[in-house]
Amino acid sequence: MANKNLNILQEFNILYLEDDKNLREHTKDVLEDFVNNIYAVATSNEALNIILNNKVDVIISDILLENENGIDFLKFLKEDKNIQIPCILTTAHTDTKYLLNAIQLKVENYIIKPINIKELLNTLHDILLPFIQQKEIQKNHNIIKTISTVTDSKQVEVVNYIFNNLNNDNLLITSYAEIMEKISISKPTLIKLFKELSEKKILVKTQHKTYRFDEKSLHEL
Amino acid sequence: MFVKKLLSYFDTFAFSYKTNFLLFIITGGMVCIIFLSVISIFSLKQDFDVLFEQRTKPLVQLEEIKDTYKINIYDTFYDIQHDGISYIHAKEVLSLAKQLINDGWSDYKQRINSNYYQPSYITSLITSVYPISSIQEKKILQESIINNIEKKNKIIDVLMEDILKFLEDRKTNEALVLVDKLYFEINSINIYLTSLINYDLNLAINEKRKTEKVFNIMIVISIITIGFVFLFSIILSIIIINNFKKLHNSLELKVALKTNELQKLNDSLEKKIKIEVTNNRKKDLIMFQQAKLASLGEMLQNIAHQWRQPLGSLTMIIQSFQTKMMHGKLTDEFVDRKVKDSLLLAKNMSNTLNDFRNFFNPDKDKTEFFLRDCLDHSLELSKYLLEKEKISFTCVIKDNVKVNGFYNELSHVFLNIISNSKDALATKDKNEVKLIYIFIKKVDDMAKIIMIDNAGGIPQDVLPKVFEPYYTTKYKSAGTGIGLYMSKQIVEKHMAGTITCRNIKHKLGTDRLHDCAKFIISIPINQ
Repeated sequence: MANKNLNILQEFNILYLEDDKNLREHTKDVLEDFVNNIYAVATSNEALNIILNNKVDVIISDILLENENGIDFLKFLKEDKNIQIPCILTTAHTDTKYLLNAIQLKVENYIIKPINIKELLNTLHDILLPFIQQKEIQKNHNIIKTISTVTDSKQVEVVNYIFNNLNNDNLLITSYAEIMEKISISKPTLIKLFKELSEKKILVKTQHKTYRFDEKSLHEL
Repeated sequence: MFVKKLLSYFDTFAFSYKTNFLLFIITGGMVCIIFLSVISIFSLKQDFDVLFEQRTKPLVQLEEIKDTYKINIYDTFYDIQHDGISYIHAKEVLSLAKQLINDGWSDYKQRINSNYYQPSYITSLITSVYPISSIQEKKILQESIINNIEKKNKIIDVLMEDILKFLEDRKTNEALVLVDKLYFEINSINIYLTSLINYDLNLAINEKRKTEKVFNIMIVISIITIGFVFLFSIILSIIIINNFKKLHNSLELKVALKTNELQKLNDSLEKKIKIEVTNNRKKDLIMFQQAKLASLGEMLQNIAHQWRQPLGSLTMIIQSFQTKMMHGKLTDEFVDRKVKDSLLLAKNMSNTLNDFRNFFNPDKDKTEFFLRDCLDHSLELSKYLLEKEKISFTCVIKDNVKVNGFYNELSHVFLNIISNSKDALATKDKNEVKLIYIFIKKVDDMAKIIMIDNAGGIPQDVLPKVFEPYYTTKYKSAGTGIGLYMSKQIVEKHMAGTITCRNIKHKLGTDRLHDCAKFIISIPINQ
């Protein structure tokens, strides 16, 4: 549990569809500490109601519900309503019939009862992490954009060029002339920038026309 | 040797052929005997008749002639000699006598010459086969006698005429001399006649002897024929009896042989039957074991399901302590609530186990129980499977009947029928109503449990076989084919009841008729 940062779950809303009252309540008691909001319901009608009226990030559904089937409900959501929400199926049945249907539905995971809460949380984490990362990337991108508008845009452009031309070994093979061909920047400014990066050990010259980018140096800043 | 050969040859004939032959011999022989006897009797009678006719008449005639000579002529002349009679009267008498003699003589001769003696055909046949000493050579004697008689007759005639002439001429002395001569002649002719009579008598006797001989021969032939037929019949009978004996012996031998074989077969069959019976017992035991295992499997499925839900909850509760602890939210109130819930769940699980454990405990003694309890219990046990197939069931308890018997076994029976109904209903379309209807009522001294499902009934070709062991319509892994057989055994052998099934149409509380299968279990209330 400690391996993964489960705090990221705090931002999300989860829909839990389970017909057994006992299990539903107990699971809700556990999950509500980890997530922003948990909607625990017993029927697909209630579930649909909540999906239409609230923001739901993940659906956890039992396959065998009272008089209905969780897979049928998910199919209805994905194919008829075109609502694409990540799903986790829980079931007491190990039938391959259900498994195949689940794979066809492209559900995110398939958890056999009794539910191991660690497994469930990990799955939730794995499902939601891309969303978090997406957000982070977007945020950083925005930060860079904002910085570039308030500072010297040429220097930002050069940094951008450097990172875009790094090879797999974090080596930059280029010359000032090449950079100046692409970016209209004065040579003294360029030399000053490289010198500054070299002093901070961010970009160290290893041989002629070859520079190494050291990621660790960024953490020491 | 020849006879033996013949007999052995005859032995080889078919039995029916022999009997036919015997019949032919006997009837043929009889007909022969009758025919022969009739013919011989008639021919003999004819012979005797002819003999009498032919032989006596000439004798009488000859006697008459003799008498005429003796009485008429001799006496007349005697009278004349002693003057007792007139000449004219004497002449008349003499002429009459003469006429009589002539007539008789010619008649006799004619008779002899015409048809001397004609014996019957049979007699002549026999005489030709068995030659009898003839008297042909004596004919010469007869002829000479006849000639002598005729000669003497003429002499007498001449003498008579001479005498009469002398008398007419009154020459009495000459006449008397001639009369003496005449006497002599008459005597001599009478002697001749007597010898002729003797001859004829001899002939007759001869003929009689001949006839007797023929008769004897006939009798001998008849006896021989009868003897022959008798002998043949006896021989044939003996052969046939022998045949019978042989047949009888051979049949007896065959029967004994076959009986022996049958006995052996019987013995081996008995052994086989014993082996088969023990095998069958073993099979039955295995079968019951299988059936028990099958229902055990089903029960296990039930237990598994009934345990799965609370197990899931319990797992979650246990894990919740960890997560709450992590978040520092593990309060006394939370722990109390969760522990209470857990204990309740565990208790339910324990109860479920107890239910099923009781179900599999074999009944040792008969107990008194309400049919309703048993049925409710069975339904409780199969509830999960029924719910899984979305089958709704209705129980109508008209009379809450108490019976004496084995609770668990009856419960098995109920479960089995419900399970069969469930399997049948499971093949129906999802959207159709699936119903099981159960009645309990009291009819006379019998408790009737009627179980109806609307799965469409049992196919007609399957219906008579549902209670047979190892009969199953299900796929091999799904059914052992002994559930209903075992149910029948339990109801009939252990509960002294009956179990039947048939197809009916019933509304089952809905508004339309369904094709239904109906099982009726009847159990006597007072055992």
